[in-house]
Amino acid sequence: MLSHAEASEKFIANQERTDWHDDTLWFVRAKRDKASKLIPEWEALREHASQIKEHMLSNLPQYLLEFEVNAQANGIQVHWAKDAHEHNEIVYSIIQKHGDKALVKSKSMLTEECHLNAFLEQKGIDVVDTDLGERIVQFRNEVPSHIVLPAIHLKKEDVGETFHQHLGTPKGNKDPQFLTEAARIHLREKFLAAKVAITGVNFAVAETGEFVVCTNEGNADMGAHLSEVHIACMGIEKIIPKRQDLGVFLRLLARSATGQLITTYSSHFAKPREGQEMHIVLVDNGRSRQLAREEFRNSLKCIRCAACFNTCPVYRRSGGHSYHQPVAGPIGSILAPNFDKKANVDLPFASTLCGSCSNVCPVKINIHEQLWFWRQDLMKEGLAPAGKVISMKLMAWVLSNPSLFKWAGAMGRKVISWAPWLVNNGLNPWYKQREMPEAPKQSFQEWYKSNRS
Amino acid sequence: MSSREEILKALQGVQMPAKAYPGTFTSQVHGEDTLADFLHSMQVVSTTVLQVQDASEAQPLLDEHFPKLQRVRLEKLSDGLSLAHVDVLEITGDFGVAENGAIWLDDAILPHRVAPFICQHLVIYLSKKNLLPTMQEAYIRLGNQLTGFGVFLSGPSKTADIEQSLVIGAHGARSLVVVLTES
Repeated sequence: MLSHAEASEKFIANQERTDWHDDTLWFVRAKRDKASKLIPEWEALREHASQIKEHMLSNLPQYLLEFEVNAQANGIQVHWAKDAHEHNEIVYSIIQKHGDKALVKSKSMLTEECHLNAFLEQKGIDVVDTDLGERIVQFRNEVPSHIVLPAIHLKKEDVGETFHQHLGTPKGNKDPQFLTEAARIHLREKFLAAKVAITGVNFAVAETGEFVVCTNEGNADMGAHLSEVHIACMGIEKIIPKRQDLGVFLRLLARSATGQLITTYSSHFAKPREGQEMHIVLVDNGRSRQLAREEFRNSLKCIRCAACFNTCPVYRRSGGHSYHQPVAGPIGSILAPNFDKKANVDLPFASTLCGSCSNVCPVKINIHEQLWFWRQDLMKEGLAPAGKVISMKLMAWVLSNPSLFKWAGAMGRKVISWAPWLVNNGLNPWYKQREMPEAPKQSFQEWYKSNRS
Repeated sequence: MSSREEILKALQGVQMPAKAYPGTFTSQVHGEDTLADFLHSMQVVSTTVLQVQDASEAQPLLDEHFPKLQRVRLEKLSDGLSLAHVDVLEITGDFGVAENGAIWLDDAILPHRVAPFICQHLVIYLSKKNLLPTMQEAYIRLGNQLTGFGVFLSGPSKTADIEQSLVIGAHGARSLVVVLTES
């Protein structure tokens, strides 16, 4: 597997595409700013949302039990899964009971996290992702590069070619309107035929035992309402205490995500349709472990809006796939080490620590601080690459020794002006994509001495 | 030990300070004109609004808007698939929210849960008296009554998954007309 830096290098090889990616996501970020400013009490809403989530986390077991009781009273079957494998087995056993070989699935980052599609496909089940962006990446055997905009790494030419191969659209046709219509016709067939539908969950309300799913396309609803069996999969941190809390979260979610006023559909599922089976799978998969990590606990407040992706200067210029995780971007980088520190040691370093992520987060997660905390944690555990460890130690030694620091500075200035080829070469990572600066004639200390003494 | 017990035990074992529930969020700031805000939101979400005295006044306007398509209003039905060929479905919305154009529909109103999604075009009748400023008032109005299924619907279905180009008419209705009546 490529590290974030290695994968990013591939991504930025095409400068025109990198610029397009950067600009497009920044455009979404700008829409978010505009939409948030339409609510004068935006900051109060963020604070309120943050407090609801913190309260929920400090009472999580009680709220899960309250949700279970109320959901069961509504006629929903509740399942508990401690890890990804158990989640997949539960979903498969429900499908098997109904003997179906195909199902429709709307967007669920949890099922991506559990690699449900690969698991079911191995069992001979045909999983059809019904979100347009997800269907596109599924056709291409890729994974989503963004949790809200799954195909944002692709251009319309790419989509046109993919649809030509898989849906038989005319070669060269890249008109988004035409391609969307082709997908509508293709997926409508799937909706009408499917007996089993899987959806994610945006919010689950303890007080009422209902869950809310938000989409713009209407794909979650088309699947769920036509199916005989609806399976909703959620991480345990998606619980909120009261129904009225939805007012707070639905005002924040779409505005933060895409700059919309609200998603087209905010669907509240409380009871199965007559004759329908409704299941909900509550999944831990490392969340209880993250809750116990005091410094990282607040990452569980996340409502998956992706505002932190869109604002992140590193994400915008490296693309989602460089994070090698289902949830990329700044939030993904603080969630991933909880799953596997060694495999994700690069991610907390994929940041400038500028703090923009924390500033746009609708539930006020201190993302940039947690990135920094993870760096300390991973260095302490000796997981950072040897080069980084040595250079940091060397740096600390120089910085803690004034005369050595002075000498090193003077050497650096001499090297840059007398033998620039020593630094202007491919071995120096700072030389990539940029020119080294011209060396000043003297250090600040020398300048100060000659001017102020 | 079952997974349920294992998860609960792990969560209960986490020592952390109690955080109080912050209470109900009360909206302090409202737009001055709920109707104007609603109309603006409708425009943002690509929805046609017909302002009329009553439903009958809207009929010639709808005939003109959908010259070739049949409009239907349906009773409760159990087979969602039978709705696959409905061109224009007419329903009555419970209430609308000015700040985002969301209209509440639920099992008490809908002929079938899939109805507002599967039809090609959707017409929602809504009384001007049933407009609320923000989502906060919307949830106060809803209380904790559950009909089984309910949806806040704002505009026709849409996607921007191909290069961020907005396309109206993804999987749900291709267009939405809101008939806003006085009474």
